[in-house]
Amino acid sequence: MACFLFSFGLIGFWALPSSAAPQVGWPATDAAPHRQFLNTYCITCHNQRLKTAGLLLDQIDIAKIPVNAEVWEKVIRRLRAGTMPPQGMPKPEKASVDALASYLETSIDTAAAMAPNPGRASAHRMNRVEYGNAIRDLLALNVDTSTLLPADDASYGFDNNADVLKLSPILLERYLSAAWNVSRQAIGDGAIQPSDTTFRVRPDLSQDVHVEGLPLGTHGGLIFKHRFPLEGDYIFRVRLWRTTQDQIRGLAEPHQLEITLDGSRVLLQSIGGSEDYRTMVKSAGTSEADIDRRLTLSIPVKAGEHTVGVAFLRHSDAIDDAALEPFERTTLDPASYLGVPHIDRVTLTGPFDAKGGGDTASRRKIFVCKATASTDEIGCARRILSQLARQAFRRPVTANDMEALLGSYQEGRNTGTFETGIEMALRAILADPEFLFRLEPDPAGAAVNASYRLGDLELASRLAFFLWSSLPDEQLLQLATEGKLKDKAVLEQQVRRMLADRRSAALTDNFAAQWLYLRNLTNVIPDPQEFGDFDEALRSAFRRETEMFFESVIREDRSVLDLLNGNYTFVNERLARHYGIPNITGENFQRVTLADPTRWGLLGKGSTLAVTSLSNRTSPVIRGKWILTNILGTPPGAPPPNVPALKESKGGAAHLTLRQRMEQHRANDPCASCHKVMDPIGFAMENFDAVGAWRGKDEGNTIIDAAAVLADGSKINGPVGLREAIEQRPEQFARTVSEKLLTYALGRGLEYTDMPAVRSILREAGKRDYRFSSLVIGIVESTPFQMKKKFGKSGDQPVAGLPLPRSFSSAARNAP
Amino acid sequence: MFISKKHLQRRTFLKGAGVSLALPLLDSMVPAQTPLDKTAAKITRRMGFVYVPHGMVMAQFTPVREGANFKLTRILQPLEPFKENIVVVTGLHHKSAYSAGEGGDDHGRSPSTWLTGVHPKMTEGEDVRAGTTIDQMAAERISQDTIFPSLEVATEDTTGLVGACAVGYSCTYINTISWRNPTTPNPMEINPRVLFDRLVGEGRDANERMARMQQDRSILDRVTNKVNRLKGALGPGDQLRFDEYLENIREIERRIQLAEKQNNSRVGLPDSPAGIPDSWDEHVKLLFDLQALAFQADMTRVSTFMMARELSSRSYPWIGVPDPHHATSHHQNDPEKLEKNAKIQTYHLSLFGYFLNKLKNTQDGQGNLLDHSLLLYGSCMSNSNVHDHGPLPVVVAGGAGGNLRGWRHLKYPDQTPMSNLLLSLLEKAEVRVDSVGDSTGRLTDF
Repeated sequence: MACFLFSFGLIGFWALPSSAAPQVGWPATDAAPHRQFLNTYCITCHNQRLKTAGLLLDQIDIAKIPVNAEVWEKVIRRLRAGTMPPQGMPKPEKASVDALASYLETSIDTAAAMAPNPGRASAHRMNRVEYGNAIRDLLALNVDTSTLLPADDASYGFDNNADVLKLSPILLERYLSAAWNVSRQAIGDGAIQPSDTTFRVRPDLSQDVHVEGLPLGTHGGLIFKHRFPLEGDYIFRVRLWRTTQDQIRGLAEPHQLEITLDGSRVLLQSIGGSEDYRTMVKSAGTSEADIDRRLTLSIPVKAGEHTVGVAFLRHSDAIDDAALEPFERTTLDPASYLGVPHIDRVTLTGPFDAKGGGDTASRRKIFVCKATASTDEIGCARRILSQLARQAFRRPVTANDMEALLGSYQEGRNTGTFETGIEMALRAILADPEFLFRLEPDPAGAAVNASYRLGDLELASRLAFFLWSSLPDEQLLQLATEGKLKDKAVLEQQVRRMLADRRSAALTDNFAAQWLYLRNLTNVIPDPQEFGDFDEALRSAFRRETEMFFESVIREDRSVLDLLNGNYTFVNERLARHYGIPNITGENFQRVTLADPTRWGLLGKGSTLAVTSLSNRTSPVIRGKWILTNILGTPPGAPPPNVPALKESKGGAAHLTLRQRMEQHRANDPCASCHKVMDPIGFAMENFDAVGAWRGKDEGNTIIDAAAVLADGSKINGPVGLREAIEQRPEQFARTVSEKLLTYALGRGLEYTDMPAVRSILREAGKRDYRFSSLVIGIVESTPFQMKKKFGKSGDQPVAGLPLPRSFSSAARNAP
Repeated sequence: MFISKKHLQRRTFLKGAGVSLALPLLDSMVPAQTPLDKTAAKITRRMGFVYVPHGMVMAQFTPVREGANFKLTRILQPLEPFKENIVVVTGLHHKSAYSAGEGGDDHGRSPSTWLTGVHPKMTEGEDVRAGTTIDQMAAERISQDTIFPSLEVATEDTTGLVGACAVGYSCTYINTISWRNPTTPNPMEINPRVLFDRLVGEGRDANERMARMQQDRSILDRVTNKVNRLKGALGPGDQLRFDEYLENIREIERRIQLAEKQNNSRVGLPDSPAGIPDSWDEHVKLLFDLQALAFQADMTRVSTFMMARELSSRSYPWIGVPDPHHATSHHQNDPEKLEKNAKIQTYHLSLFGYFLNKLKNTQDGQGNLLDHSLLLYGSCMSNSNVHDHGPLPVVVAGGAGGNLRGWRHLKYPDQTPMSNLLLSLLEKAEVRVDSVGDSTGRLTDF
């Protein structure tokens, strides 16, 4: 029975020993005491007869550890997490547990150092985000990739996983179409047809206050950048928010609406007042049509990216009735036409009477020469295309490449102008498998199953896609071409340069935004009845705060432990009010030192608290699970099938709080093993409501009880206690960050063969206080990042291995 | 068939309201060459599959009486106007969706078992594997002479759903209900505008599109050469992947050839929709409109629609359910929560009713589109509280071109494989295959 209990395999990180990092050069220990340890503490369950969790330790050779590294890595994981031997069984001395774990680690790591195994690496298709960045860097063109390509599926928490970035006919069709679209935009093809682009204001954005980026003295509205493909006339149409009865809101008083282009006013239009109001009351349809017409404008615009702003001038006497309500959000009532008008969306249509591509950043980037006479054309085309192909293919251009590209060029040239030829060749580049895929062909002569160091060019691409989610730049490419990235000092200098470059914001946008679920904020739509204050301004402030917090760690090269307990953050007025921080005004974010320790680190961030809540209440389970997965690196397994129903208090019984009901749930055997770990973590955070505001009472008006007993028996109270408990084991958090970052860097799930690399990264970074750059450099210098293995015909290639850390619980889930 | 796209100042589409824009769209854009004038003699059959997550409150779904002329239950009530066009099938199970000992999450298996009857492999790695879905089997047989063998659409932007995938499974399994083959999932499009632009084709006029297609073919020729050249130096896994690449190229070339042949109609069109509407209700209706349009113009004959996603936390305050769907679906038999589930499910069926209405009111040859379609609506769970995969809630709709008689409730012996229905559906669409997933035969009297 005892053996069965632990087949659910949990994950009591709380008992983790305080020094998980193995020592370098741990003295080789005689194996005999470790065999003795196994015999005493492990084989009661893990033997040939019981086969508990499929782990058999009674006959395994304790002297030849590396042969069974896959098994031993599971054992190490359990020992280091302190979950084995389980409670209720004889407990060994901590020192002997550590000694065994270190013996196992040292044995495996020593063998790995002698025969490095970089694991698998599949051909990597560019994902949608990388494609957009590559277009930006190659063509100085910002494109909306969400309309060009479908979203990518994630594995192991990230959407850059090479194994599942598959190709399908739809995707190929979309890549072809994107190549057509992007190349004609970059060139400024005169054949581009008028089309609409619509920019919406989220319906829950309050519009009675100033919007960041718009001129001072205005309120509401929106500001956006738009790329006008050609010089020509464009129609701007502003649509105002209307009620469910199609009445435009806020017409009772006069207002002035302003449209700006790059900050200059292009329209000032009055709306509202007694006449408009009367029309609206009489006929909503007539009123709509009239106002829509008045808010339509056609003006000439030069090609390229421009900033468009639409807002109301702030001199109206109208009082928004919402201002009298205790809510921040002003669009709670979809039927009310009173108050101030709101902008719903802005649609741009054009170009009409197009006058050509003009002088855009893209054209300057592409046309590095001008073909003034037809005799220059081939030479100029050659220059343009070799430059583009070098960057797009991330390698020196060959004669073969040029022959093919000039063929495409000629095909286009035959039907049009010089530029048509370049556009056609550009299209071919953008559809080329060497652009869309990162291929790392095995070098000629490499032996099957041999590991080899990647070429510098392949390494340069890995580096650029890791740190920038984009193509290498010319400096990196040049160094790689010269073979200089083999030099550790040069490589490290490049990493530091790339981290300092603004393009490393991709680590925030892609790595952190997925690791910390920031991308989910867009789907956080709290029940307006419960959370009338929540609106788009707060949502975007949540996101911005955590982005800036993460960025500060990169930019200032801080210890990643600061992510856990940093006593500073970034707030604007809206967010400061939400957190109860006084004396912050304006929409700009400013760095503040947090006097209130409940807000320190990631656990106190509104983003974290909101993405781990349900629409109408908090969820201690989701919060607990999130922290286990993303902070502690010990995700719980899937709930067993057929979860028994909660016995809910019915009718006459006293009302139970959420917590009391959950505690009943936990009394249930199969649930307890997971929930006793997850739930207390969530309970400790119950003082934060579903949108991350501090509260004393819960939804049922009961005083919050944030005291909790963690799985290891330690008692904590509230979020500070929780954070301090996690801080007891800094290396565990550092390990989680390293494993997540390595997963992201490699674009695949980690396998047991990667564990020596993880330990090595942590060892070296630990010496440098776990500074962000030390983790990145550790990853860049690691075996799986630097090397590749040549696989033979099918069969030799391992099935995508069991990932960490999940593999260590999945074996347990397989148990009967 | 491509339809030329002109720029028109049309308020309807810009407005983005589902109902109001849809009718003018369909009315004005019936292309010159619809099945209407070329297939009067031969019926063109369409197949559609509409998936909803989180099961059904079976007690309020399952009709009491078996057989013909049954009385619609509460959840089925929105289909009252179409009762002569629907068959409710009960007693079916998808056993392949249960854990086979690996544990893991039923929400991860449900979408990929639904149209395959196959037990998907629990993995997040290269070995992702489910089965070929029946929409793709149908597409291969009945939709090869349309430009798009099939359409795959959904409503949820998965980029905002980090971590909202089933434990142990790649998000692939939960992001689509359509698999081209056991290792190639079809991505689903959520943006009505993108779908619209794909359908009608971008470009100024037929000449430009024709030129573009020729250029695409020339680009594909070069890509083919390059893929062949690169392939040799790649590892075995990547070689397989590049073989697929070549297959995909051939498929696209085939479509281009088809499109070139058909690139001749000139019908004015309104503007494309302005992206994804704020209102989910409008979003769903717009996607139904576009599927109906694609059927009508014979741009495709097969579509799959994942109306909502497993584990979806969407709330439905406008129908009185401000609670997140997935959490609510674990109803613990609480009457209040059961009622909320029933509300959501009734509402979902009313949206399906919107689609049926659209099809019924669209003439197609001698009949209407609904007569010529065969649609499957359902979920891969019954009681969501315990993740049961049977008896599944199933509505079959449409006349299948005279092959299916409506207003029937067919009750099969409990534990009959759902795959038997999948097999029977293919048969009704005149697609002959021997088996689907774990099927044991066709349903009798279906």
